[in-house]
Amino acid sequence: MTTQVARSRYQMVNVRPGHVIMEHDMLSRAVRSYFSDEPIPPVEEYREGKHIWHYAGMAQSFQFDVKDNQTGETVACREILGLLYYGCCKEDSVIRRIGELAHENRISVYIAITYEGADGRETVLAPEKLRVLNAMFNERLRTPSKKILILPDLFDLYKTMSYGEIMIDFGLTSMEEER
Amino acid sequence: MKLAELAEKLELKGVTRMFDREIGGVYSSDMVSDVIANAKAGDLLVTLQIHSNVIAAANLVDIAGIIVTQGKLPTDDVVKMAEKAEIPILSTDLSRWQIFTKLYEAGVR
Repeated sequence: MTTQVARSRYQMVNVRPGHVIMEHDMLSRAVRSYFSDEPIPPVEEYREGKHIWHYAGMAQSFQFDVKDNQTGETVACREILGLLYYGCCKEDSVIRRIGELAHENRISVYIAITYEGADGRETVLAPEKLRVLNAMFNERLRTPSKKILILPDLFDLYKTMSYGEIMIDFGLTSMEEER
Repeated sequence: MKLAELAEKLELKGVTRMFDREIGGVYSSDMVSDVIANAKAGDLLVTLQIHSNVIAAANLVDIAGIIVTQGKLPTDDVVKMAEKAEIPILSTDLSRWQIFTKLYEAGVR
């Protein structure tokens, strides 16, 4: 364990457990989400201008920053809602097809899904943050020739997919049928 | 220790086909976020969860294998996903406490 930490330039730090809170506006039918690290997540409805936001669900999740042990700089990754694994996407989806191609070269594709901004639009993840994320997760690997590739959401996935598909703890709180 | 050797010692049932993996340690969690934040490459993940997101997380952090406890079994699509990612899944009817005890006795620390 000590050897692994000493070798790594990038390190996950400031890990904060919390919840992804999902809410919707009855008037505009808009849906959005945000991260809360409060011990008791907020579930009350509230007004914001013309909008009245209603609680629509929550999922356990976490946030983290990435520290560069060489420069001492810490990159905050607060925009990230979760990572979507290509293998969790529908078989005929673009992501799945890209992921299958990459898999043939031992590359595992994940898409970094970000939270919506206050205006409901997707928050764009800066290229430098993507670079650091990719570096960090690839440094952790030990299987020879295996690679992780984290891509930005170039496919408007944040609009179309369910939260259960993203790698947060959403799906894991559901009961599974015994076989 | 090789996972195949451990599986035989502990009488674990293979859910996926076996892959040649060396175990570096053990990590137990049912939360994807916890696995991503704290598990190490080469760890054996002991869990009750059989959701596809567990495979996604295990692949991201380069888990050596997964032991699912208490007789739970993943669905066929999760098995296929694990095999594609070359992450072996093993099953046991034992509880986590019981399997931890056996892992420790087998020399896995």
